[in-house]
Parts: sequence; structure tokens; C-alpha cells
Amino acid sequence: MRAPGNRPLREAWMIFFFLGIVMLNYPFLHIFNKNVLVFGIPLILVYLLVGWPLSILVVYIFSLYLGRGSDGEPPPAEDSGEESQ
Amino acid sequence: MIPVDIVASVTLVYFGLLLAVAFYADRRHQQGRSITDNANIYALSLAVYCTSWTFYGSVGRAATNGIDFITIYLGPTLMAFTWWFLLRKMVRISKEQNIGSIADFISSRYGKSAWLAALVTLFAVLGIMPYIALQLKAVARTFDLLSDPLVGTTTSIHYLPIAHFKFDTAFAAAALLSLFGILFGARHLTSSERHSGLVAAIALESLVKIVAFVAAGLFITYGMFDGFGDIFRAFMTQFPERADLLVIGPGNDGYSHWFTLTFISMMAVMFLPRQFHIMVVENCQEEHIRRAMWAFPAYMFLINLFVIPIALAGLLMFSGDTHNADFFILTLPLNNGDYWLAMLVFLGGFSASAGMVMISAVALSTMILNHLLVPVILKLQTGDKDLSTLLLNLKRACIVVVTFLGYFYFRLLGESAALVNIGLISFVAASQFAPAAIGGLYWRRASFKGAAAGLVAGFVTWFYTLLVPSFIETGWLSRSIIDQGLFGMAILKPTALFGLTNFDVWSHALFWTMFLNIAAFITGSLLSRPGRAEREQIVKFVDVYEKRDEKIQRRRMTKAPTVMEFVNMMTKFIGEKQAHQAISRYLGDKEIDAKGSLSEEELVKLKRFAELTLASSVGAAPARIIIDNYLSARGSRMESVFDVFGSVNISRNASREQLSVLYDAAHAVASGGSLQKILDEILKIFTDQFKFDLCVIRLLDADKQTLTVRSQRGMSSEHFGESERNLTMDTYIGETFLTNKPTIINDTENIDKRESARIIHEHNISSFAHAPIAVEGETIGVLSAFSRTAKGVFTEEFVELFTSLAGQVGVAWRNAQQTERLITLREHQREMEIAKNIQLGLLPKVVPEVPGVELAGICVPAQEVGGDYYDYLSHPNERLDLVIADVSGHNVGAALLMAETRTFIQSRSIHLGSPENILKAINQFFYDDLTQAELFITMFYLQYQADTRRATFASAGHSPPILWRPAADSVQQLDAEGLIIGVRKEYPFEQIEIDLQPGDCLLLYTDGVIEAESEKGEFFGEERLIELVKSTSDQSPQQIIDEIFDQVRLFTGQHNFRDDVSLVVMKIAE
Repeated sequence: MRAPGNRPLREAWMIFFFLGIVMLNYPFLHIFNKNVLVFGIPLILVYLLVGWPLSILVVYIFSLYLGRGSDGEPPPAEDSGEESQ
Repeated sequence: MIPVDIVASVTLVYFGLLLAVAFYADRRHQQGRSITDNANIYALSLAVYCTSWTFYGSVGRAATNGIDFITIYLGPTLMAFTWWFLLRKMVRISKEQNIGSIADFISSRYGKSAWLAALVTLFAVLGIMPYIALQLKAVARTFDLLSDPLVGTTTSIHYLPIAHFKFDTAFAAAALLSLFGILFGARHLTSSERHSGLVAAIALESLVKIVAFVAAGLFITYGMFDGFGDIFRAFMTQFPERADLLVIGPGNDGYSHWFTLTFISMMAVMFLPRQFHIMVVENCQEEHIRRAMWAFPAYMFLINLFVIPIALAGLLMFSGDTHNADFFILTLPLNNGDYWLAMLVFLGGFSASAGMVMISAVALSTMILNHLLVPVILKLQTGDKDLSTLLLNLKRACIVVVTFLGYFYFRLLGESAALVNIGLISFVAASQFAPAAIGGLYWRRASFKGAAAGLVAGFVTWFYTLLVPSFIETGWLSRSIIDQGLFGMAILKPTALFGLTNFDVWSHALFWTMFLNIAAFITGSLLSRPGRAEREQIVKFVDVYEKRDEKIQRRRMTKAPTVMEFVNMMTKFIGEKQAHQAISRYLGDKEIDAKGSLSEEELVKLKRFAELTLASSVGAAPARIIIDNYLSARGSRMESVFDVFGSVNISRNASREQLSVLYDAAHAVASGGSLQKILDEILKIFTDQFKFDLCVIRLLDADKQTLTVRSQRGMSSEHFGESERNLTMDTYIGETFLTNKPTIINDTENIDKRESARIIHEHNISSFAHAPIAVEGETIGVLSAFSRTAKGVFTEEFVELFTSLAGQVGVAWRNAQQTERLITLREHQREMEIAKNIQLGLLPKVVPEVPGVELAGICVPAQEVGGDYYDYLSHPNERLDLVIADVSGHNVGAALLMAETRTFIQSRSIHLGSPENILKAINQFFYDDLTQAELFITMFYLQYQADTRRATFASAGHSPPILWRPAADSVQQLDAEGLIIGVRKEYPFEQIEIDLQPGDCLLLYTDGVIEAESEKGEFFGEERLIELVKSTSDQSPQQIIDEIFDQVRLFTGQHNFRDDVSLVVMKIAE
């Protein structure tokens, strides 16, 4: 079996991972850690509760590309997995 | 409040539902149609990460410490980014190496060290058992909240009115959960730790958790308040001093704390024993990781969305009282009178606790059994007793012990600080596994000593910086340790080690444990070299994705073989003389230096030639293997990717032994024993080398169109080994036969053909393989091997060996077929020879002396046995009988019949008198036999009285003899009416008398003469015969016969005749 992912995909992956780590820590947190309210909700909370699903979305998109990029073919049809292969 | 019996019964019903689901999943799994082999189920099962600490603890933490609870879930989300690489690699390795726990994983990487495994187990137990206590505590407390405990007790004792009995909630929960663990985690001792039922139950629990939490969240946010904004506004208004709950803590402390929590949860999601178990060991397909990567973070996001609103709502509703903040999610609906919601929430929390306890108990007990107990048992072991029941029961006992130790921990410590922080303490503990595990995956130099050093350093530091302070809080240890340091040394203050002050206790602990762990790990690894066993493992871990044959290339030498070396190799198989002859034939006119090297082109041709030569004595497949192996062992440049004896992981000695299997098998095939002996021998050779539980050779029975067992080794009286198999694509053996391709199943957990699954699981087979036995491209059978204990035996290289062995069986079968055919042919020939000898024995050897008569006779049989017979019988009173006959068949039966006829005639002719009577008698006597054998006889019988010169004759459909009377110059054909013998039982034969004159010449003959065919298609015919008799009548009978033969031979142009030719000549003397 070959190593997963092609080069560009892996590199993009690493970039996003480190970006995630950075954005989850000081100083980024500090930027949003202010006593500001957005729709009545503290800014930092908005930052986290919006950023979180955003990053999940990024992972989701990546997972789609994984099927396409590394194998060179579109992701396999979604089978319910009832019958083991 | 809700009555106890209602709460208890609902809980029990829910528990029963979990049991049912687990049973169902296990059943489906055994049938080969697992429902847990599903990406969604996998993702849901990972949510066991959210224990009651999530369910209740998050709200509590949010209400008291602010938003840093969210890091526990942000961390895993971040980590999920890496899963496609990191987790997938771990899963791949674990499947290949059949790893069952995190202790297994780590120890396996570092040379399968038992010490390392024991160490990891010990640390895991130390870190996790208190966590179990936490879960049980949550169940007990929430149960109390729903329905008040008995008054006067403080420890969650309830009274069940219906059953009139008191029960301790935590105890009951522990009992139920350990029962579940035993039922679905320790039903049998399998080498794969796959528990489909457990996973299904966990997945269901995750579903209930999120439904309950979200429902409660929605209800509280939109039911009791007017949405997010409303709650926040209300909170800000009422508790402005607590606004800092909604931001991250002040100054540096806050951020480092934040980072620490994020980091340890990233490590925890991977390396907590229960997480490892459910993510790696229970993983069915790597593909599922792709879904889990985003689905699991999405789950966590959803379940955490309402934590803050609920926390704030709780603060609002209970006026800022945080002593029960953990359970706001339960008390809020309860307070509001929404009992059903509260019940749902309780079930959600119960699910959260149950999941953690079940999986952790199973995972921990597996580790305890395998790495702590088994080594001890093995040391104590005397004799070969069957350990499996003992081990199984020990495992079950461990599950119970682990769960109840958690219970006792809870009882002992109750509300103490030690328990409250245990969640984070466990996370830091789990982080200690990270350097050894991750380092082992990517760093080749990581060695056993380094890993051990790192682990020990990490855990000692962990104990000192986290456990000790918590014991101090509880009051078990003196406060002076914190204030003044151990032994009064300030530098050894548990919360300010080596002078690192102003850090919160978690960051401090994380920093020191990681630093010392990693430092010891790196130093230890650099200072020591991986041992031999370890080196093999390093490849299997770090390079799990690399193609194997790259390793082979490194082994090659560059010198090409010489002709002499080919000769030497061939000599081993076909003998020196033949080898040399073969080579000489090949070399012939080529100018090749026998000792020198060959050009690339020559090498190829010589290789092909040698293969052909060997194939004639050992079969094509073995010949190819032998040649390729010979070349690869010498390092030729020509070897193809396939190398039967494998990668660098197999030692040289082992591959030689495996090669010997093929050698021995080839010899067995060439030995020339019976087919049965050869088949048995092949299986014996195979099973002696590879300890399979069962090997079977099944060959196709052409009549029944099934595969019947021809030879088997292993299970003795098992029906399984003996039974036939139909040719159908529904079974693996059928598929192998029909598609002429081998089938390899390395792990029977993953088969999907129902019929095969049933049989396989009935007999506890772990792995098996079928190889088609083919002769000249056509499948004639299947070779199968089964193992009950080992998985993953059938590597690519082994499969090549296995398929070659099947090829050998094919060769043996083909040889046997050919031998059989030869034997049948020879028997047929033998029969023909016997018949011919019988027939020739019937003919008269001596010509009788009768006065006045000259006689001669001859019979020349055709190629195959003939059916002619003639005889002269001389009787007293100068009577001479001549008889000539021709039988229709040409086999032993016909020949025997003629023998019988002769005997009959010789014994009865005297008494019967006239030819007519004789023929009649013969006809009657032989009618039945002739009809049954479907044979006919033509016969001519002549009686000659020498003194009266009177001849009497009768004929049964025979060619009329020729009588030449030179005196009268006339030719007469002695024709008498008569049906051939064997047609009608009763028949009157015509009898005619004539008088012979001296000089008369009589010729009796059979059809063969007149039906002799010339090249032009002309028959010899009676005319020519008559002419011939006329022209030769003056010679002696012998000469006449010779002359006739010469003429006929001349006529046909051949020496041999198509049919038998018999002639009898009688001359009346002058």
C-alpha cells in the first residue's frame, strides 16, 4: 500500500494544522479576548463557536479531497457499510 | 422528585435495550454481516470520549472556571486533522501486527518487550481507575437528584419499595456495567479484540447522549429563556462581577493554562486506553477514519454548544450557587417540573458514564491479563494444561475487579479533591504515552531504553506534580511538602519544581512531565541502539507503507551466475549425467565459456532452458520457483519482484526451511508412489513446517460435480474436515475453484460470505487460505489451509509458496492420471495377447497320418486376435474329419468359445457320427452362449472315409471349399445349406455326400483369403483362388499353401492381412 496523500495535499494539511494551533492560542486568542458583545454574546465565544464549525468544515472538505487526491479517483460511493466488504 | 421505582425501572429498561442491541450486533457480526462495520457507527463510537465529565462536568466547570472547558474538545478537533496520517498509520500497523491495546502497541514497537508492556499497563491502571470512580459517582449523584436517597444516609442508598430492598446506586451501577463488560468483552478469548456488541452499545449511548443534551439545551435556552442572547444579557445584568467567566483568564496564566488543556486533550483523545481501543483496535476499515475526522468534531461541537447557556441559566436560576453546578443540566428541568426531560437527561448521563466504564474495564482488563498476569502464569506453568478457560475467567475477574476498584475508590474518597480533578490528571497521564508512541512511529532511532526511560521519567514526574498535591489536598500527606518541598528542599516543591513558579498546577505538571519524558526518551534512544528484534519492528512500524521489495534490492549482489553454477543446480534435481547432457545439448554450437559469466541475453535463454529441463522432473511451477530463488539467492540482476521467501523480516534460516518444503514436495511428486501417498506426503511436509490446524486437499469428483476430500491433516474426526464442497460462488472454496484464483482471508472477522462465515465461526477458525490446483490451466481441485490461532499468516510471500505447493499437487495428479491411462492400455494389450495365445493353442500341431491322403493346414492371424480355427481329427476305421470355423468376435471371449467348440468336437465327434448331427449338436449346445455373447460362428465340417473315398459334409454358413478334380478337369464348390451357428437353436443342416478320386485337391479356407484387398480396392476373390488351386494342384499341400500365401501377399502388396487367413489342403493320393 502506498503512503497516503500526495505531496501537495500533505503540505496543505500540515499548514492547516499549524494554523489551527496558532489560531487557538495566544496571541490570537488575546485579540478576541475583549469585553465586546456581538448579539449579546461575548466576542471570544463568538470567535470560538464560529471558528470551530469552520475548521470542521475545512476537515470535511479535506476528507473529500483525500478520496480524490491520493487515489486519483473520486471518493467511493457512500455505502451504508451494512455488509462488510 | 420521581419515585425510585420509576427511575430504577426506566434505567433497567434502558440497560436492557443496550443489552439487546449488543446481542444483536454480536450475532450479526458472527454471521459475517456486521452492523458496526459502518463509518457512522465508528464515528459515534469515538464519542465515548464524552463521558459524564463532559455531560455534567463541563457545565460545572463553565459555571465555576469559565470557558476553558472548551479546550477539552477543541484539542481533539485539532487532532482530528492529523488522523488521516497518524491514526491511519496506527490502525494499519495494529491490524498487521494484531495489536490489542495501547500497551501492546508500545511494547510491540520496541521489540515486543514484556517489561514495557507491563509498565504501560501499570501506569494505565493507575491513571484510569480513579476515572471510573468519577463515572460511578456521577451515576449515584444524579440518581439521588432524581429521587431522593433514603433519609439519614449520605451515601446514595435507595430503597426499592416493590422489592423491599435497599441498594447502593453506585454499587448497582458497577455491578451492571461489569456484567455488560463480561458479556460483550470477555465472552471468548479471541486473539483479535474486536467486540462488535460493545461498539454497537457505545454508539447507541453516544446517540442518546447527544439527543439528551441537545434536547435539554434547547429546552433550557428557548423554553426557559428566550435564546442565547437573552441568557447572556440576563447573566450580565445579574452577575456583572462574574463576567470574567466569559473570557479567558487574566494575563499569561490564562493562556498557558489554555494551551496546556488543549495539548493534554489532544494527547488524551489518542492515548487514553479506551480511546486507543475504540479508535484503533475496534476499527473495521481505514476508510471509516475519513468520516470520523469531521463527524466526531461535529458531534463534540454540537454537544458543547449549549454548555455555556446551561451554565449561565443554572447560575441565574439558583442565584449564583455553584455547589451543585455540575448537575445544572439535571436540576434545571427538575426544578421546572419537566420530569420526563430530567429522566432523559439522566439516561444521557448514565450512557456517558456507562460507555466509559464498559470500554475502560475491558481495555484495562485485557492489558492486565496479557501483560501482568499471563507472564506470571507462564512462569508458574507446569505441563501443557489448557489455559484458555483459566485465562478467560481471569479476564472476566479483572473486569469486575477494575470496575469495583473504581467503586471503592469513590466510596473512600467521596467528595474529596482527589476525585474532582481526576479527569485532568488522567489526561496528563495519557499524554505520557505520546512521546514513546509517536516517536516510535516516526523516529527510527527510538529504542526500547529510550521509551522505557521516558515513560518512567514522565510517570514519576506526573505522580509527584499531580497526584501528590491532590493527596495533600485530601489530607493524606503533610502540607509541608507543598510549602517547603520534599525533605525540605525548596527546589523539589511539587507545584514549583526546580523553581518554576507562577504556573498553574496543570501547566506546571505538563511542562515538567513532557520535558523530562521527552528528554529521557531522546537521550535513552541516542545512547543505545535498537536490538535485533526491535529492528524488525521498526521497519514494520515506521515503514508500514513502504513496498516490501525495496528491502530485497538492498540484499543483492551483482555477480551473475556462470554456466557451471546452473549445471550444479540442475544436478541436484535431475542428476549429474542428465544435467551435463542437457547443458551440452543446449550449449551445442554456442561459444560460451563454461566457467565465465554470461551476457544478459544468454542468461535469459539459459534460465529458460534450465527451467524447461527441470520442469520435466519436478513440474513447471516448482522449476520456476527453484530457478528464481537460486538466482535471487545469488543476487542476480534478473530476479523479478516476486520473492517467495520474503522480506528482510524473515531470517535466513527460516527461508531455507521454507525452500525445503518445496524441494521435499517436488521430490515426493517425482517419487512415483500412489497418488494418495503423494498427497498425504505433501500435506505432511507442509504441516510439519507450518503449524496449521488443518490442511485439506480437495479434488473435483467429475460425476458428482463436487469437491471431495482426498487428503487432510489436522482435525481428526471433525465433520468439517471431511465434508464435500459444492461448486458455488457462495463459498470461498467454490469461488477459488471457479475463478482459478487463490483466496486469502487473514482475519475471519472480516468475511462476508454467509455460508462460509457460519462454518468458519462454528469451528473457531482465525484465518485460512484456498489455492486452486490447476493442470494445464484447468482447475481440478483446491488446496486449503486453516489456522485457529494465528491471523495474518498469509503474507504475499507465503501465498506464493502456498500456490506453488498447489501446483505440485496438480503435477502429482496429472502424473497419476497418465500412469492410469498407461496401465489401462497395457492391460488391454495384455488381454489381446492372452486371447491370441489361446487361439493359437487351439490349432493342431501334428498332421495325422491317413493312408491315401496328404494334408496341410495353416492359420495366419491378423494384427489383433483372430477368430479362426481348423482341425483335423483322425478316427479309427480310416475316418478323417476336417473342420474349419470362423467366429465373429475378436477378443478373449471369442477365443474361449472357440476353445470350447474344439473340445466339444474332439470329444463328441465320434459319437455323433455324421457332420449333420455334429453341426446340429454344436448349434444346440452353443446357442445360449453365443446369443448371450452376441457372437456367431461359421463352420464347415467334412468327414472322409479313406477306404471308400467317400466324403460327407455339412456347412453352417461357411465359404464353400473348393474341390479341384484334375481327372475330370472340373472345379466344384462344396456348398451345403446351413444357417450360421447361433442364430436358431433348432436347425436341420443339409448333408451332402460325394466320392473323391485320386488326384483330387480340396481347399478349405476362411473369408480372410478372398476378402484380402489390393491397393486398388480389389478383392482377391474366389476366382483367383480357384485358378490358384488349379495351377498348383500337382504340388504338395504345404507347397500349395505357401504358393497361395505368396500370391495373396503379392496381391495385397502387404505382408500382413486384415483378417485372419486359414487354409486347409487335402489331396487324395494317386
